[in-house]
Amino acid sequence: MISDITLGQFFPGNSPLHRLDPRCKIILSVLFIVAIFIADTPIAFAFLFLVTLFLIIISRISAKVIFKGIKPIIFVVVFTSLLNVFLTVGKGAPLVEFYFIKIYTEGIVRAIFMSLRVILLIIGTSMFLTYTTSPITLTDGIESLLSPLKVIKLPVHAFAMMMSIALRFIPTLVEETEKIMNAQKSRGADFSSGGIIKRAKALIPILVPLFVSSFKRADELAVAMECRCYRGDINRTKLVKLEYKIRDFIWIFVFALILSATILTKFLPDMITRASEVLDILFYHI
Amino acid sequence: MEQKDIFIEVKGLCFTYNDDAGNNSPDASPALCNLDLKVARGEYVSILGHNGSGKSTLAKLLSMILIPTSGEIYIDGHLVSSPDISDDEIYEVRKKIGMVFQNPDNQLVATVVEEDVAFGPENLGIEREEMKKRITEALEMVGMTEYRRHAPHKLSGGQKQRVAIAGIIAMLPDCIIFDESTAMLDPLGRRDVIEIMERLNKERGITVLNITHYMDEAARANRVVVINDGEKVLDGTPKEVFSHVDELHSMGLEAPQGKELIHALNKCGIKVSDDALSEEECVEAIYSALIGD
Amino acid sequence: MDSVLEVRNVSYLYSKGTPFERVALDDVTVSFERGKITGLIGHTGSGKSTLVGLLNGLNKPLSGSILLNGIDIWQKPKEIAKIRYKVGLVMQYPEYQLFDETVERDIGFGPRNQGLSDEEVGLRVKEAIRYTGIDADLLSKSPFELSGGQKRRVAIAGIVAMQPDVLVLDEPAAGLDPKGRREILGHLKDFVSERGASVILVSHSMEDMAMYCDNVVVMNEGKIHSNGTVSEIFSRADELISIGLDVPSVARIAEKLKSRGITLDGELYTVDGVKAAIRKYIGGANNDL
Repeated sequence: MISDITLGQFFPGNSPLHRLDPRCKIILSVLFIVAIFIADTPIAFAFLFLVTLFLIIISRISAKVIFKGIKPIIFVVVFTSLLNVFLTVGKGAPLVEFYFIKIYTEGIVRAIFMSLRVILLIIGTSMFLTYTTSPITLTDGIESLLSPLKVIKLPVHAFAMMMSIALRFIPTLVEETEKIMNAQKSRGADFSSGGIIKRAKALIPILVPLFVSSFKRADELAVAMECRCYRGDINRTKLVKLEYKIRDFIWIFVFALILSATILTKFLPDMITRASEVLDILFYHI
Repeated sequence: MEQKDIFIEVKGLCFTYNDDAGNNSPDASPALCNLDLKVARGEYVSILGHNGSGKSTLAKLLSMILIPTSGEIYIDGHLVSSPDISDDEIYEVRKKIGMVFQNPDNQLVATVVEEDVAFGPENLGIEREEMKKRITEALEMVGMTEYRRHAPHKLSGGQKQRVAIAGIIAMLPDCIIFDESTAMLDPLGRRDVIEIMERLNKERGITVLNITHYMDEAARANRVVVINDGEKVLDGTPKEVFSHVDELHSMGLEAPQGKELIHALNKCGIKVSDDALSEEECVEAIYSALIGD
Repeated sequence: MDSVLEVRNVSYLYSKGTPFERVALDDVTVSFERGKITGLIGHTGSGKSTLVGLLNGLNKPLSGSILLNGIDIWQKPKEIAKIRYKVGLVMQYPEYQLFDETVERDIGFGPRNQGLSDEEVGLRVKEAIRYTGIDADLLSKSPFELSGGQKRRVAIAGIVAMQPDVLVLDEPAAGLDPKGRREILGHLKDFVSERGASVILVSHSMEDMAMYCDNVVVMNEGKIHSNGTVSEIFSRADELISIGLDVPSVARIAEKLKSRGITLDGELYTVDGVKAAIRKYIGGANNDL
């Protein structure tokens, strides 16, 4: 069924994550993404994994939903992991050697890191953006973050309005597509058999009515908006005012720390060697 | 009688739709022809006509979506029909006249009910506290308070239309034009919308124009204007207008069934008083005709 | 009764397996008489649209069966598409299904899918426009140039052209003015009498039921509430009102006259019927004198 497609699915709730300012959440996502791409040690990944786990727990979104979210990409992850495992050539002796297949430790490590990166990336960003932020607040957040660009005459408001209208009409259009499909099925249309050309042709009776009605909708909506005194963002107020609260700053601060910590893990081995050197010298003197 | 406060005045209004090339083709029949209409502040008027009679064109002209080919429109004393009217003037008119359209889906812009109701007030630059107050009041007026945080696409047609009306109410207009707002609704949805319309008129003194092709709806207004082929053909109280049963039939319209029955009885020689409209009145008239015999 | 379609113990759930699960049809059993126009009424959410979607196999009942001419339509699930030619369904606001370049091609879409020759398709189209009152001049036009009422009739013609045994129409006159309603509903009788077809007409309008239907099935909360001829159903006005439905205004007038001592006799649910009854009443009263 088409209606199973969930686009940017939002789960209403009142968790600490839900209550954050959308701009804060966008910033947090960016920090988190940077951290994920910087991480390249097991400690760093273990650390970020714990952070993600923590986010899932406080968001109170069920693990089932989260698993469903990453299901579509599992195949790609597994496939690229395998490529990494088999194609990476390491420095030392191969771990496994079987005819022409040589598997090195580096390959396995790389595969694990890459898979973790993709999975954490998806869970982390959807935790902040799609699952806990309603599309409309997200749009408000983007508009507000981009508003400095208005100075150079970029139509930030129009862009945000377009996005929110698109979000408003996705369910309507999905419903409409189903209705049209049923109507054409009732006239004997067949969408599921025949070669690729026949199938593509079979879409015409769906696409034409869908376009016609979408244009009609767009037209009527534009008129209705004008009649409700819409004229862009001239002298416009907003019902939802985005306000940073102390908690938003705390979160950003914590995530900045997390990012720094991740960066630090990069130098951790070096630091440990240096520290032990210093300690050695100190102890030697004593 | 004291001078009524005229809110809408239309003089010699004509409108012809352009052909595809954008020219006024000489043989295109006008959608509206030489229409005169005065609507006083606080009136409740139905505009009745069959599909394509020109009644929706009138709505589009009054809300300034279309510009008249000729003739004048005054709203609240201001001439608004001149082709070189400024955007600011149009904006001022639209603050006074709210429009509710036919398809409820195509007038809701937001993904949450209260944010949709807020859309008009946001455009008017209303302060947030005032806006919240207006949303609460408007949703209460249409009985949708409990759906405040719902997504519009999950509501029924009638509920969506009530949200759309709330969005207009929150702009505090002087007049609301309902352009076939009940045509796509089921009977319960229709009844709700009509009741809201009437409450807005009675309780808030809002001028209501209900453009419709449903006779029973039109009959509930204080005044009915019938438009046919772009011309105003009848204008009066529902009782007067629906006495012209043959004329209505010739225009592809009908009268409420009680009126139709009385008309049919009179035609076959049973004299029944024509001064009835509601079911009760019709029963009374037929009863006295039968007992009187 | 010779029934063309039989619904036996059919149940159906909406959004099955989700928190929004809701019973749409609850053990519904009803049959539709061959060669008649049967009205299907009920307010929104009564299950009538769900039932309609089951009749032509768009959806499959959760339990129970639907028999067309005595044969279960789901006997051969792979051939369900053929059932859709026999039970022609006109959905609500069907004009959105128009897509082809000309009215003629659009009406012929169903018959072409049936695998008929061009010649046969042409004949079917000609017949379909007769039963829907479409002017032959319109055939070469684009369906998108037509008026709302014309589009509606072209969409209906697209189903009629498949020559279904049963024509199911879901609110075919919704949103149309009285003339538009008459143009669509008035032609149904010809289709039934000349082709021996059966019609199921879903409508909110009691006036339309009274005018055009032979039988009426009333649905309420996913169940069959009552079922009978038009006069049987409308004689129980108070029951209909109690489940949120209505009777034609003229039937209420007749009812009120009765409560004031004027008992009319006849088909008291159309203007003509009541008129005739009043004339008869006067005639009777005069005879008594």
